[in-house]
Amino acid sequence: MRRLSADVVVIGGGATGAGVVRDVAMRGYSAILVDRADLAQGTTGRYHGLLHSGGRYVVSDPRSATECAEENAIVTRIHADAVERTGGLFVVTPADDLEFSDRFLRGAIDTKVPVEEISLAEAFKREPRLNPGIQRAFAVQDGSVDGWQMVWGAANSAKNYGAQILTYHEVVKIDTADGAVKAVHCVDRKTGEDVAIEAGFVINAAGAWSGRIAAMADCPDVEVVPGRGIMIAMNHRLVNHVVNRCVYPADGDIIVPVHTVCIIGTTDVKADDPDHLSIPRDEVQKMLDDGDLLVPGFREARAVHAWAGARPLVKDARVSATDTRHMSRGMSVLDHAERDGVKGLLTITGGKLTTYRLMAEHVVDQMCEQLGDPRPCRTADEAVPKSESGANYLVTHRLGEREHDRLDDQVLCECELMTKKMFVEALDEQPRGSFDDLRRQLRLGMGPCQGGFCSMRATGVALETGHIDIDRATELLRLFLKNRWIGLWPILHGEQLRQTALDNWMFHSTLNIDHLPESTQEVAL
Amino acid sequence: MSTPHVVVIGSGLAGLTAAHRLMAGGARVTLVTKGLGGLQLSQGTIDVLGYAPGRVERPLESLASLPAEHPYRTIGAEAVATALGYLTDVVVDDLLAGEAAQNVWLPTAVGAVRPTALAQPSMLGGQCVRGARFVIVGPKQLKDFHPALIAGNLARTDLPDGGRLDARPASFDLPGRDHEVDSSGLTYARALDDPAFRARFAAAVKPLVEPGESVGLPGILGLKDRNAWRALQDLIGHPIFEIPLPPPSVPGMRLNETLTNGLKAARARFILGSKVVGFAADGDVLRSVTLGEAGRQVVIAADAFVLAAGGFESGALDMDSYGVVTDTIFGLPLVGLDAPLIHGDYWGAAQPVFAAGVAVDSSMRVLDGDRVVYANLRAAGGVLAGAQRWQELSGDGIAAASAVIAADSILGGRA
Repeated sequence: MRRLSADVVVIGGGATGAGVVRDVAMRGYSAILVDRADLAQGTTGRYHGLLHSGGRYVVSDPRSATECAEENAIVTRIHADAVERTGGLFVVTPADDLEFSDRFLRGAIDTKVPVEEISLAEAFKREPRLNPGIQRAFAVQDGSVDGWQMVWGAANSAKNYGAQILTYHEVVKIDTADGAVKAVHCVDRKTGEDVAIEAGFVINAAGAWSGRIAAMADCPDVEVVPGRGIMIAMNHRLVNHVVNRCVYPADGDIIVPVHTVCIIGTTDVKADDPDHLSIPRDEVQKMLDDGDLLVPGFREARAVHAWAGARPLVKDARVSATDTRHMSRGMSVLDHAERDGVKGLLTITGGKLTTYRLMAEHVVDQMCEQLGDPRPCRTADEAVPKSESGANYLVTHRLGEREHDRLDDQVLCECELMTKKMFVEALDEQPRGSFDDLRRQLRLGMGPCQGGFCSMRATGVALETGHIDIDRATELLRLFLKNRWIGLWPILHGEQLRQTALDNWMFHSTLNIDHLPESTQEVAL
Repeated sequence: MSTPHVVVIGSGLAGLTAAHRLMAGGARVTLVTKGLGGLQLSQGTIDVLGYAPGRVERPLESLASLPAEHPYRTIGAEAVATALGYLTDVVVDDLLAGEAAQNVWLPTAVGAVRPTALAQPSMLGGQCVRGARFVIVGPKQLKDFHPALIAGNLARTDLPDGGRLDARPASFDLPGRDHEVDSSGLTYARALDDPAFRARFAAAVKPLVEPGESVGLPGILGLKDRNAWRALQDLIGHPIFEIPLPPPSVPGMRLNETLTNGLKAARARFILGSKVVGFAADGDVLRSVTLGEAGRQVVIAADAFVLAAGGFESGALDMDSYGVVTDTIFGLPLVGLDAPLIHGDYWGAAQPVFAAGVAVDSSMRVLDGDRVVYANLRAAGGVLAGAQRWQELSGDGIAAASAVIAADSILGGRA
């Protein structure tokens, strides 16, 4: 049993939790963040990568629109290395009503979201593949953001302020006594060790899973409904700006260029279990149709991967979100002292990745208020590590880096230009990391061949570092291929099916991977 | 017909074998291919059947027990034996050794033990048998060969003969070209055609080997010089063997070059880089194919046609975004399209979609139900339905045997 203690324990390593731990650490509290999996492995890592300009909400949710516009500027600055300033367009397709675009423009003025109407000629100049039948176009300040990079940036900033980040630590029990939270008990899933953390205050930022956490502290009926949304990554950047359909928020209304791909999103269907999200074929078909409307030919383009995320939507029958002064409808804080008679516990949920920092500020403000210890929030003032220069991400950045080290280092993943050195350094930092843990930081296996060429190399290199043995190396390879398949099979057709044929040929035939020695125990992490 | 003109579409093992057999039988052959063919994506051996689904020791004897829809049931063991004999004796003398009737067990680049029927002589020293002692050695600059991974897995494998072998890893510094840190297998293969580089390579390997050990090296030991590996073995002074790498496959390239050069020497017409974009037929007789070449289309008429363009891996078969599977060349009727074609269990059964293809009669003529679609069109290789070539390790035998049957039936007017 490992014993730890902290002023504040943050449960959940998505964007919200990472924002909260950074905020409390910067305000001078000792803090520990725990997550049952890797950072940003849940909803934060399973979205389309949009850094909202606010344009999406100027009609449907004006308060969110304004918040997004303000936070967009802040996140672009403090997470420069995670954000690409792509700019965005809202376009009225031939299938859309022009009337909404008038409301859109009025809403933008009212909510102070920067929007500029541009000529159709200018729109086609910026995005030549746009549907030639579009009726109207508006330029906005959308960007794209790498959710993993952003969360690791916030977590690393928190670490620099003394916080501890404990991934793969699953909360199994929360102790309360005298009407207050006392300790959080975890299991380290990589080692099996029990970990007890004495806690002055607990902030539950477990997103779609936060109802389960609250229940452990005897706070029942926090009903979080997972809203499943699917996304599909296409092989190329079919657009270089974020392209939004100028309609009331709906399914399949956005294409976001992120890194070397572009992503279409999304759907919204109530799911029963956030741990088991399906990617139904009919929703895939809908995304392809919707993409075709924005960019004709989208259907024939190569889809490389799909995934599903669970939006956390709070349905609290007992108490409405308490802090309505500060909160928009997008985010809610539950004060469990008021709601359940349990002091020292706040649940924060809902919201958007774009406003993650603001959500953290709100909930930490509320914590300080309850502690009678007002300390100002500074998270908007300081860039996270590696973003200090203020230079935003560019899609060409790895090409630039390889230009410098191409004669000194091997490229293990040609699709994503990941070098051996990058891989070894990441593994040195996370010696028990799975290849998916490393992938989220390095983009290993995320390009067109989906691990076809790089995964065997990664396995060999990982073994050579000495961090793992042959049994684990082989099991990690098996696990990686299995996990890649989850996001591949629902969208397979055309050129990606052809790629899969080549990959299967290599793995099953040339390498005969099906007949490697079996491990005594399957590696799941 | 005297001196029939035959168009062969595709330049993988099936297309090249068919073209050879047709030329040898006196036909005039035009070989049309969009790409370079699949051999250089392969492991460079000739598989007949490795798993059915259990491990297969004697592949020819196992063919009859395959499911009725499997192409081997139509092809038959005799044709497979004929085809492999043809490849070994006539076409690629001294590049293939072994026998169709008996599998050998060779290491792969992840250290799995893999059955195959015919292998290149440079690989046969790696037979995974009880008591073998291997040192797996590679240059650090080659990222597709990881000795620790190969040796680690080989050493913990229960071998087909029930025993175990010893394997340990070693590595050395020697770039394929001076100052390179990231040399491809092909770079090494070309370098190893040069005796001077071979000497440097051998000098680096030799001190790493202990008495009694065989040396497992990456499958890069020379491209043009078929005896490069023997020269290297002499210099190292220990038995050596090659382990095939993922593409580009140097052993596969050797087979491809040998087969291709043979065809060119026999004056087959070889049209590279051209996709068949159309065809003309009169009733059940195919008259011509149309090639899409740069800036123009070319019509090639022929007496008979062999479709040997492969399956999904080559793009000859395609599934569109609505899930509709088509033969992109002739729009032939396909079988094996019962849903679900793709499932979510990566380590489960082979994906059904990859067994889709055309059904054929005993002379490889494509069928629509019981009806022959075109009397003068035969199919060979990966386009044949009913095989999971990659899981079964059956693709080479199917390709070579179906090609031989297709060619012989064209030449002999066999039904």
